[in-house]
Amino acid sequence: MNQPCNSMEPRVMDDDMLKLAVGDQGPQEEAGQLAKQEGILFKDVLSLQLDFRNILRIDNLWQFENLRKLQLDNNIIEKIEGLENLAHLVWLGSSDSHASASQVAGITDLSFNNIETIEGLDTLVNLEDLSLFNNRISKIDSLDALVKLQVLSLGNNRIDNMMNIIYLRRFKCLRTLSLSRNPISEAEDYKMFICAYLPDLMYLDYRRIDDHTKKLAEAKHQYSIDELKHQENLMQAQLEDEQAQREELEKHKTAFVEHLNGSFLFDSMYAEDSEGNNLSYLPGVGELLETYKDKFVIICVNIFEYGLKQQEKRKTELDTFSECVREAIQENQEQGKRKIAKFEEKHLSSLSAIREELELPNIEKMILECSADISELFDALMTLEMQLVEQLEETINMFERNIVDMVGLFIENVQSLMAQCRDLENHHHEKLLEISISTLEKIVEGDLDEDLPNDLRALFVDKDTIVNAVGASHDIHLLKIDNREDELVTRINSWCTRLIDRIHKDEIMRNRKRVKEINQYIDHMQSELDNLECGDILD
Amino acid sequence: MEVLREKVEEEEEAEREEAAEWAEWARMEKMMRPVEVRKEEITLKQETLRDLEKKLSEIQITVSAELPAFTKDTIDISKLPISYKTNTPKEEHLLQVADNFSRQYSHLCPDRVPLFLHPLNECEVPKFVSTTLRPTLMPYPELYNWDSCAQFVSDFLTMVPLPDPLKPPSHLYSSTTVLKYQKGNCFDFSTLLCSMLIGSGYDAYCVNGYGSLDLCHMDLTREVCPLTVKPKETIKKEEKVLPKKYTIKPPRDLCSRFEQEQEVKKQQEIRAQEKKRLREEEERLMEAEKAKPDALHGLRVHSWVLVLSGKREVPENFFIDPFTGHSYSTQDEHFLGIESLWNHKNYWINMQDCWNCCKDLIFDLGDPVRWEYMLLGTDKSQLSLTEEDDSGINDEDDVENLGKEDEDKSFDMPHSWVEQIEISPEGTNILEIKEWYQNREDMLELKHINKTTDLKTDYFKPGHPQALRVHSYKSMQPEMDRVIEFYETARVDGLMKREETPRTMTEYYQGRPDFLSYRHASFGPRVKKLTLSSAESNPRPIVKITERFFRNPAKPAEEDVAERVFLVAEERIQLRYHCREDHITASKREFLRRTEVDSKGNKIIMTPDMCISFEVEPMEHTKKLLYQYEAMMHLKREEKLSRHQVWESELEVLEILKLREEEEAAHTLTISIYDTKRNEKSKEYREAMERMMHEEHLRQVETQLDYLAPFLAQLPPGEKLTCWQAVRLKDECLSDFKQRLINKANLIQARFEKETQELQKKQQWYQENQVTLTPEDEDLYLSYCSQAMFRIRILEQRLNRHKELAPLKYLALEEKLYKDPRLGELQKIFA
Repeated sequence: MNQPCNSMEPRVMDDDMLKLAVGDQGPQEEAGQLAKQEGILFKDVLSLQLDFRNILRIDNLWQFENLRKLQLDNNIIEKIEGLENLAHLVWLGSSDSHASASQVAGITDLSFNNIETIEGLDTLVNLEDLSLFNNRISKIDSLDALVKLQVLSLGNNRIDNMMNIIYLRRFKCLRTLSLSRNPISEAEDYKMFICAYLPDLMYLDYRRIDDHTKKLAEAKHQYSIDELKHQENLMQAQLEDEQAQREELEKHKTAFVEHLNGSFLFDSMYAEDSEGNNLSYLPGVGELLETYKDKFVIICVNIFEYGLKQQEKRKTELDTFSECVREAIQENQEQGKRKIAKFEEKHLSSLSAIREELELPNIEKMILECSADISELFDALMTLEMQLVEQLEETINMFERNIVDMVGLFIENVQSLMAQCRDLENHHHEKLLEISISTLEKIVEGDLDEDLPNDLRALFVDKDTIVNAVGASHDIHLLKIDNREDELVTRINSWCTRLIDRIHKDEIMRNRKRVKEINQYIDHMQSELDNLECGDILD
Repeated sequence: MEVLREKVEEEEEAEREEAAEWAEWARMEKMMRPVEVRKEEITLKQETLRDLEKKLSEIQITVSAELPAFTKDTIDISKLPISYKTNTPKEEHLLQVADNFSRQYSHLCPDRVPLFLHPLNECEVPKFVSTTLRPTLMPYPELYNWDSCAQFVSDFLTMVPLPDPLKPPSHLYSSTTVLKYQKGNCFDFSTLLCSMLIGSGYDAYCVNGYGSLDLCHMDLTREVCPLTVKPKETIKKEEKVLPKKYTIKPPRDLCSRFEQEQEVKKQQEIRAQEKKRLREEEERLMEAEKAKPDALHGLRVHSWVLVLSGKREVPENFFIDPFTGHSYSTQDEHFLGIESLWNHKNYWINMQDCWNCCKDLIFDLGDPVRWEYMLLGTDKSQLSLTEEDDSGINDEDDVENLGKEDEDKSFDMPHSWVEQIEISPEGTNILEIKEWYQNREDMLELKHINKTTDLKTDYFKPGHPQALRVHSYKSMQPEMDRVIEFYETARVDGLMKREETPRTMTEYYQGRPDFLSYRHASFGPRVKKLTLSSAESNPRPIVKITERFFRNPAKPAEEDVAERVFLVAEERIQLRYHCREDHITASKREFLRRTEVDSKGNKIIMTPDMCISFEVEPMEHTKKLLYQYEAMMHLKREEKLSRHQVWESELEVLEILKLREEEEAAHTLTISIYDTKRNEKSKEYREAMERMMHEEHLRQVETQLDYLAPFLAQLPPGEKLTCWQAVRLKDECLSDFKQRLINKANLIQARFEKETQELQKKQQWYQENQVTLTPEDEDLYLSYCSQAMFRIRILEQRLNRHKELAPLKYLALEEKLYKDPRLGELQKIFA
């Protein structure tokens, strides 16, 4: 291979080099003159070509935020790096350094370089065309982020495993692939395999794949592909299931009643409660526990359902509110637009009248009239805006009151339900204590018939011990209930506060923006008029 | 009455003058009135009043100096048919009957005025009034109902007062004459209206009676102006949308309620005063307008139409005043009395007292006590209530029977002498013409020509080669007012409509990938070119192009141009961008192209003042001269394209006009592919098919041609052939065939020889006369030679071919004969 750059010293990608390249590749002729006059910012550059420059390392590209096309072919780059900021890249090429090349986002040409692994492309989500021709790549991976990839050129590399092809199945847009002059392309089955596993591919190694080949390939590899597909489908289904579950849980979380639609809370009460678990082996406690659990779960489910209902209510409330606010703003904007349109119509005609007027005093009079019009428009628009602000404030306050009331009611009701839980727990505790004491008495009297587990028997030493044990279990249970309640209350309160804050903030932002817009417009109109004045005086 | 009649003579003159004055005054009044409408319960709003004033001022009232006269002198009677000029014997008889009836009547009721029975017609021939009625059903559906008929009569005819307001006229003209001259008195009016109503099935009668002054003079000053009667407004039910919970409250009303109340009070006071003033005014007017007591009240003769209930679902008897076309109840106080009434079948005299106008009259014409009929045997049934009167019929003294005993009771009214009444639309102005088409190849469906504006509008069905939908124009010349609508889905460029005026062209688009929705170009006056050669391509200079675009959702609003204006002459380009959803202002940009040279003589490429922009959200990159320069260059290119587009559009219009003209000239028809008679292609195809079938058939016939038939015919039919017969048959057949082949060969040979001889002869002749031949003759000879050579060659070929084929054919026949089942004996021999 003819490689004239080999003889040159490796060079560094520094500012001078980039500036030179940008200047050379920028606009030409008249536009070029202008560009030179003003200077070109790196971030305005859309396409950059840095080929045959003997670059060893990609560097200093972070300023090129809006780059769409990058060509780094025919250098001696060994590693893909420093491309993280080029998120708009559509085309990347870095072929031919010595053995491998790569192309980055949008278009990236990294062909003819010395790249060994594909890496550093994770941020280039817009990349459509990647060329890594003539590099030293042996494995296709780390391309997961490039969902829009359409053209991939990996010819003349060291890819030797057919399984790399399966990796390419995830790129739904991939239509053109080049893998010639790789070890795998020597394989007998190479073409058929690719056609079978990448059925959407249109071009392989610069040639169109005809339908006949596709059919043949499909027939040949049908069995394994079907299996692959089945697996993929299974995976997909599983993913979807998980997704659905997550969504469900998320929904419950927004209602602040997650995990209350079952025995989760009850189970968690006993999860860390060894005494309680031990005590459940006491005669009669099993049944007691059973009924206790049933009742407890019923209350939990009540809370859960109530929570969902309340969530629904809050949501409709919020929706109504947002809709009304949106309508109000829309209506207000329409009014403003109408006012402006009316003004502009008048303003234009008076401007042209001024231009045609010859008498200076008349001109002055007309200009005065015009500025009066402008300030009138300003007043009108500002009045509109003030009106809207007042109206919205009132509405927002009303909404705030309502939503706070709603949240308050919800908390109250949940608390009363939780109190029922506590009552149940207390009741259970009393019963358990009774049984424990009677059991203790029996043990002391020695007429206990049943065998008790050793752990349990250890508790029945004396009355204090057993009472303490039962008490500890009771405390843990109460703590769990309290925690759950606290969590719910805190979360809903913070949600409420955040929501209201956000609404207020949004409204303030909106107001600021509108006022700024009006001012800007009025300033523009006024300055236009002033310019006219100056122009006339000059004339 | 007697006393009054004496007065009549003296008062008549005065009366006529008065009437004229009245009419005059009434008209004046009518014009002055709009501001002070009386009798108006509906309070009129200001704008309705203004509207009304306008409407009324549009009404032009020409006050003719003299009252329109309608006398027989003005009527051309020369062209009238014979029935107008003479009476048939039956009519004569009828007149005698009528005279007799009249004599008896005047004898019995000496204090009543003579009957109006047979006035003279326009030809001075007495005609009985019933025969003057000519029941006619008009061919116009609009004239089927009584109200439209009455309105027509009142609108179409001009009213002429009676020559003597106290007597029925001496003449009664036929309705045809009345219609022709569009004038008539009340009798003419009611005769025409009655004819029409009877024709359309009403039970209508002409009435000779007495009317009020207003009625007789068609004085409507005391009527409510019809224009002030508002049509009932349909009350729209506004569906009140329930206000949502968080709907914003309307801005606070900052007006003082106290002030408002005071204002309302003040307004009320003013209104009350106004009302009072109006009322006083009204009263004053009422006073002034109140009909002066008419000295001739109750004596003024009038004629109107009575419609009885029963037919055509008329629920109640009513009168129609033919002058105005209004209907009145039979109780109306304008109608003061009835002398007699008639329809086309009979004549009735009112025997009831009219002291209380017509209010007490009972219109039961079958009741002979109240209504004396002239002819018996009409379809009016006798009242069942008056059963006892039947006995009275025979009473000689009774009025009902006067003069009837000796008459033929079944005498019926002769047919009307009047010609068919026709209302022709002749003389009306054609306002518009609509022509419907079908099966046209240019898909023209409807052509609408408005005669007043001269605007022609063509409507097309889908499928025109230029996708035309509607084409409206005044002239087929280009660059004139014109609107062309297209089926935009059939066009590549999505053009919906193109409007043209001499100086502008506006196009509307839809569904374009570049979101263009509107393009407006205005042209300047054409510049005269010195070079006359390029006369066809001298487009008008474009002054301004305005283009509007729909919102392109793929672009952010501040980069999506909503409107761009190319001011070509000023080298100015204005851009207006779309408004962002949460904004009320839109960005604007204006480019001014000034190719100037700075102080040092360098060309200025771009300066900041060449681009004035207003940005709602200022952006950094747009501030750059480079950006602006590129944008301007881009717009320059776009401008060029737009100008080209406009130019192309103009060309297209020319093309369309040319095509339309051609189509109009050719007007070819489309022919359905199922129309096998007219569709050329399918006809050809069908004919080809038929030809093929025919050939196929011929071939079949040939194959079925029985070569044995002539020989078999010699033998007795139905018998089986013997072996000997079969052999003989075969031989005969073969020898016959051989003979045929030889004959054919001979024939060809003979023709060949003949041709050759002729050629030789000709050649000989040529060689002899070669020197004297003209070039034409020589040409003739040469062409003859070549043709003759051709014929000879062909004959030669045919002969050779025949020689070749003859033995084969012979063998083939022999083979066939062997296999023929009828000659089965043969096979046995050879088998």
